[in-house]
Amino acid sequence: MAIAIPSIACLGVIGRNNNPLHITIFPSYDSSTHTLAPLRTPLQFSLLLSSTLDVFEFRTRHARGPNPTASSTTTGLVTGDFGLLHAVDDRLACYGFETNTGVKFIAVVDMRGRAGASTVLPPTSPTAATAGTAAAVGAATSGVGLRDTELKVVFRAMQTAYVRLLQNPFYDPEETGSVALALGARGPAAAAPGGGKRITSRRFAEEMRRIGEGWAPGVTVL
Amino acid sequence: MDEYPLGSLDYDVPFLVVSGLTSTPTKPLLTDPSLREQGVLVRSELPPIDSREVKDILRFMQDSDVTSLPWSSLDSSRRHRFKIKTIGRELLLPPRRARLPDDLEAPVSAPVLHSPFSPLSPGSTLYPDGLIDTCWLQKHQQYIPSVYLCFYSLSSDLTLATLHDNQLKTDINAVKNALGQSGYKSRLVVVILSDQSPNSMSQFQDRLENIKKSTGLDPKTSLFVLPTRRPKAELESAVDSVLTAIFDQAMEYYRDLGRHSRKKRGRGVAPQPTVPPTSGTSHTLSLQGWHVRYDFKSAVFAEFRQELDVALRSYEQSYEILLGADVLETLPAWSPRFNDARLLADIIAIRILRCLFLMGQSTAAVKRWQAHHDRMGDFVDRRGHGTQNYGWKAWEARWCTVMANLIEKVKFPELEPSSMSLYRLPEKILSADRLQPWELLHHPGYWYRAAARHISQRRRLAASMPEDDRKPPDKAQARFTGKAYKYDTYMCPESYEEFPLDGPGVDYSQMIFDHLMLAKAEFQKRHQVRTAAELVLESCKELRRMKKWDQILALLTPLWRNMAFRMEGWWDITEALSWTLRAAAIEVSRKDLIVAIDWELLNKGFSRRPGWHYDITKSLDGLSTDNPPTINIDDEHLLSFLDASFVFKHEEGKAGQTCPAQLSIKSNSFSDAAPVVLEKIRIDFDGSLRTIIINQNSDETPTPSSSLYVTRATLKEAEEEDESVPDDVAESDSRETRTVLHGTADLTIFPGQTRVFELDIPLREPGDAKASSVQVTLAPESFILEYTMKIRETDSPDLWYSPFSTRKKTTRSNPQNIKVLPRPPKMEVKLAKMLEQYYANESIKLELDILNEEDADANAKLDVILHGHDIPGYKVQVIEGEERSCSASEESKLNSVSLGKIETSGSSKVIITFDPANGPTVYEMTIKVSYHLVSDPATPILQQAAYHLNIVNPFEASYDLLPRLHSEWPSLFDLGSIQGISREGEASDRPRGLAQRWALATRYASFAQGDLSILDLDVQVLATQGNVRCTTSRIEPASPDGLQISPKTIEEALFDLVAQKMSLDDQSPSTADLAFVIKWRRPESPDEAINTTTLPLPRFYVTVSEPRVLATISYSTSSTSSSSSLSSTASPPQLLFLDITIENPSSHFLTFGLIMEPSDEFAFSGAKTTTLNVLPVSRRSVTYRLLPLVKGAWIRPTLIVRDKYFQKVLKIIPTEGMKSDKDGVLVWVPPEDELDGDGDGE
Repeated sequence: MAIAIPSIACLGVIGRNNNPLHITIFPSYDSSTHTLAPLRTPLQFSLLLSSTLDVFEFRTRHARGPNPTASSTTTGLVTGDFGLLHAVDDRLACYGFETNTGVKFIAVVDMRGRAGASTVLPPTSPTAATAGTAAAVGAATSGVGLRDTELKVVFRAMQTAYVRLLQNPFYDPEETGSVALALGARGPAAAAPGGGKRITSRRFAEEMRRIGEGWAPGVTVL
Repeated sequence: MDEYPLGSLDYDVPFLVVSGLTSTPTKPLLTDPSLREQGVLVRSELPPIDSREVKDILRFMQDSDVTSLPWSSLDSSRRHRFKIKTIGRELLLPPRRARLPDDLEAPVSAPVLHSPFSPLSPGSTLYPDGLIDTCWLQKHQQYIPSVYLCFYSLSSDLTLATLHDNQLKTDINAVKNALGQSGYKSRLVVVILSDQSPNSMSQFQDRLENIKKSTGLDPKTSLFVLPTRRPKAELESAVDSVLTAIFDQAMEYYRDLGRHSRKKRGRGVAPQPTVPPTSGTSHTLSLQGWHVRYDFKSAVFAEFRQELDVALRSYEQSYEILLGADVLETLPAWSPRFNDARLLADIIAIRILRCLFLMGQSTAAVKRWQAHHDRMGDFVDRRGHGTQNYGWKAWEARWCTVMANLIEKVKFPELEPSSMSLYRLPEKILSADRLQPWELLHHPGYWYRAAARHISQRRRLAASMPEDDRKPPDKAQARFTGKAYKYDTYMCPESYEEFPLDGPGVDYSQMIFDHLMLAKAEFQKRHQVRTAAELVLESCKELRRMKKWDQILALLTPLWRNMAFRMEGWWDITEALSWTLRAAAIEVSRKDLIVAIDWELLNKGFSRRPGWHYDITKSLDGLSTDNPPTINIDDEHLLSFLDASFVFKHEEGKAGQTCPAQLSIKSNSFSDAAPVVLEKIRIDFDGSLRTIIINQNSDETPTPSSSLYVTRATLKEAEEEDESVPDDVAESDSRETRTVLHGTADLTIFPGQTRVFELDIPLREPGDAKASSVQVTLAPESFILEYTMKIRETDSPDLWYSPFSTRKKTTRSNPQNIKVLPRPPKMEVKLAKMLEQYYANESIKLELDILNEEDADANAKLDVILHGHDIPGYKVQVIEGEERSCSASEESKLNSVSLGKIETSGSSKVIITFDPANGPTVYEMTIKVSYHLVSDPATPILQQAAYHLNIVNPFEASYDLLPRLHSEWPSLFDLGSIQGISREGEASDRPRGLAQRWALATRYASFAQGDLSILDLDVQVLATQGNVRCTTSRIEPASPDGLQISPKTIEEALFDLVAQKMSLDDQSPSTADLAFVIKWRRPESPDEAINTTTLPLPRFYVTVSEPRVLATISYSTSSTSSSSSLSSTASPPQLLFLDITIENPSSHFLTFGLIMEPSDEFAFSGAKTTTLNVLPVSRRSVTYRLLPLVKGAWIRPTLIVRDKYFQKVLKIIPTEGMKSDKDGVLVWVPPEDELDGDGDGE
């Protein structure tokens, strides 16, 4: 019997000024049609990622506040790991990590994104992937949970990829990092919408894709 | 949650009915007419008590009611919780046993009657196989109190005491019996109120004891006496303690009930209904069904007892059995019992959730919520109509809303907006488990949002229904096709009502919108602004379906104006929002928004909307064109496809010059967008530059669509026609006319093009200037758009374009800034023929040439400022013009000497003449020429020149005053002179005293830099002290045409000075102040310009009172032998005559001894030793003849003159031709030939 297990639905890198640097969307397994398709539209994922910024701000403000009560979340500010930011609904949950330079990594996890019995890679024949519908529904319900720490490996890998990107002498983090600054200072057209202010490195994108596809709960190396 | 039957989800708290406190008629508890009819009445005959205290008690009772309070899992401070109902004296209870239906023929045996709420009673809605419904819950929540609390008053009137007490006893017993006969186990509690104070209650002890005995009430649990004469707070606490005591009674009551249901469950047989069912299926409720019922009951009773864990267990048990194989699985989907069972399952699940919440187990609650959802989904899939229909989605949405409502009611402190957390951490037991993130309880916003999502899925599924199902069914037909059961109609309408083919169905949009707004409120409370914005965007989609355009505008406009997405570069979101808003704006003709949005969306960074015209001029197509709006937008609020930058070529410029500058406007619009034709471009500056306006002029060379096009625009100054100011009289007077720079060019900008306008900006006023903003104006027919772009300071280098598509980066930071230096004056001030050196005592004439090198005539004024020590007077004369003078002072200034109009490349001459300076000094002369051009009178221009005038003394001199023997000496025998003194001593100014002669030797040196002509030399006697008259005369006469003295040469001049005392009697020494006067001129200056330099001499003694010894020498020559009394041989060996003259100006008789020492150098004749008596005011001479033995050398006649009386050696003073050193006088013996020559010369 196939148990739906968590998979990554979207990986986002958000810059210091809350500007999106990179977004990769991964298809989720749809148990009713046995196909892989993104759970939401890119626009919805954008909205989803941007909504996590609320939580980042919120936590940061909260951590500065006089009386931090949420114990596990405040520790995140030391390590940069914010853990679970919020769960959007019973399937999607956002986990976050912030580097000390303010770049945020966000992993949107689809808690039932992958048919557990099948391989990690998308099944070649969708019908062969799982058993009956009822079983899939039943299985999906008792899906495997997730601990905050299980996402650490994702963020570590993302950070490594990002650091590697920064090591590229031709990559100018200020160019991508200061969109809002540029927007404020230079007029908006400098920050061309949808344009080159995002990370364009193909290698980085491939790395993100590899991380997102390779991760599953319990994976320790990415 | 409101969709569930009323009361089904109410939180169960013990029900308390209070009677006897109010006489006002209250709403009867029992409302159902059939139940009322059969109801059991418990009535008390005594009237209700009415007093002030009673009102207080009543109010306190009502305040103690907890039904309106939020459920709180943490409120343990309360010792009792009641749902309190106050009634009069009548309590109507529902019948304990249901009656048989009237139409039923009487059974053979006596029927076993059951509760009207039981499925066993034929009259019940549950008959014959229903499980349980809300009526049963209502029975315990609203009809049957756990405790019936009766208030009575105790009369304090002793005469009526017995009567009253007896009435009381009768009444209590009557109520007690009535309650007992009703079959219910409600407890009766009596409170006797007394109007006495607690201390005086002892007097009633016997009476109360009597009442207690005759009613059989226990004073600890069911009979309370409440003296009311006490402070209000005390009374309240007394009532509170009564309630606490009653609460135990209530607990006991519900415990009994719970025990009873467990007992019934324990029987293990399904009870038979009163009458076996005859209609429909003869199916009766199975044993498992009865278990569900009993377990549910015990759970509810446990809940009444506030024993949440017990309740939870019972609910779970009931739920398991209900969903087990024997109950729900056996029900066919078409049966109405199917949906009833689902409803019961929901109710049980919700009650389980509530128990979990109240126990603080939020994560367990979410898990339970999820489990119920999944279980129901699975069940509906298997047994019902599946999960792919609107009914299921409706339930899912409801199930989410239920959770949100529950969370709101429970009010977790961790989820309050102020707690700053979005979800509740799991309880400790579960925190180690692998949890689904959703299982951490999030705040209701998330749940409402999930509900909204389910509703939209419901709509989608409803829309996918075939049209046949959407038609209202023909009843007969429906029965045959079974269409009525095709859809899941659990708590939602039939398919033809859900989404009818015609007519309104379920208003999904409104539902979604309401849920989204609820969610938005929750997110907003927690400052999740982006999420709230996302929800607004979602809700606007629904509003769009509902065509509530105004609402869209109200929601989206503030967001659109100021959204974080735009600032942070979430372009896709920005875009989605903009399109949504535009669609609404079109509908309500908000032209400003439409144009602004269109303007923004032209940016090619947004994704292209297929088929869109992308032509800003077509924005308002289809809208009415009257009143074309003027729309002001700026780049602070939106992104545009235009990007302006402004670069000055130079960092600095001078006023009056022009500075090249480039305005580049880059278009980032879609490549197939229509080119934008601007009406005008306006560049505003901060600082001293004028606004530039470039107007569209299509006559100019049209712009090619190349990616870079550089245009030169020439600018002209013009007065600005200020359109913005209305023609107000008062305004127009004060309005400043501003000069702007106008230019024209073709202002078409093609997509992707960078238009560069090269401008030569005339710089006028000095100061810092900075391009601050660029405003472009579009004016198609239907609107006017003004878009302002700020030129911002930035680090990124700006580009300077050249027409040949090359560009270079300007290296300056902030190239939009320019520093305008003051206009360089082109008026030249020249000092003509400035001499190298100016001397004291000469008048200085400076010639100033003021040359106008400007392009225009200039009106000029001259200021002369002189700094220095001892400023002489001077005058300024403008040739052919004004003449002004200034007297000598410390610092002098001549202002505004008008120079008149100086023509271009003409000049004006000014002569400044200084009076001669007295001594060496330094002047700083500043010449300021302030002028303005005739062509530009507003710009004052200043030229200045500073000169350093160094004035030195041309001469310096040193002086020697040498004693000489005066030829005259007053003779005591000359009566004339002596008498003259005595005779006319006062009147006559002719001096008659002693005269002494001196020779004044002056050596003067020229310190001038050039040759000077000395015209005359003179010594002036400035003053004398001590009654003396001095006369000076030059020994050798001056050369008539002067003497040329070269720089740094020394000349000598000798003067004869004779000083004569005015009176012979006056023998005191006297002094004279002398001055050496040099008259000179520069050789090149004309003859009449004679300068006089007066050099003062130190003060000299000109007569002395001491005797003096003067030596004079004379040489014997062949021709003369003036003093050759001793010389016999005028032979070639030359003789020198040394005369020693002793003057005695004193009035003493003096005796001198003279000793002449022999010497190797000469031989002499004369007294070797002699004594000389000198009378007062007389002189005597002794002559020595010397025969020198050497030639051409100085010889030293060693002569000692000693005052015999004072034994003092007098110094011998040499005169002409002699010199002296410290040892005495020296006499020159000329060599022979020279002597001859000399002799010849003399």
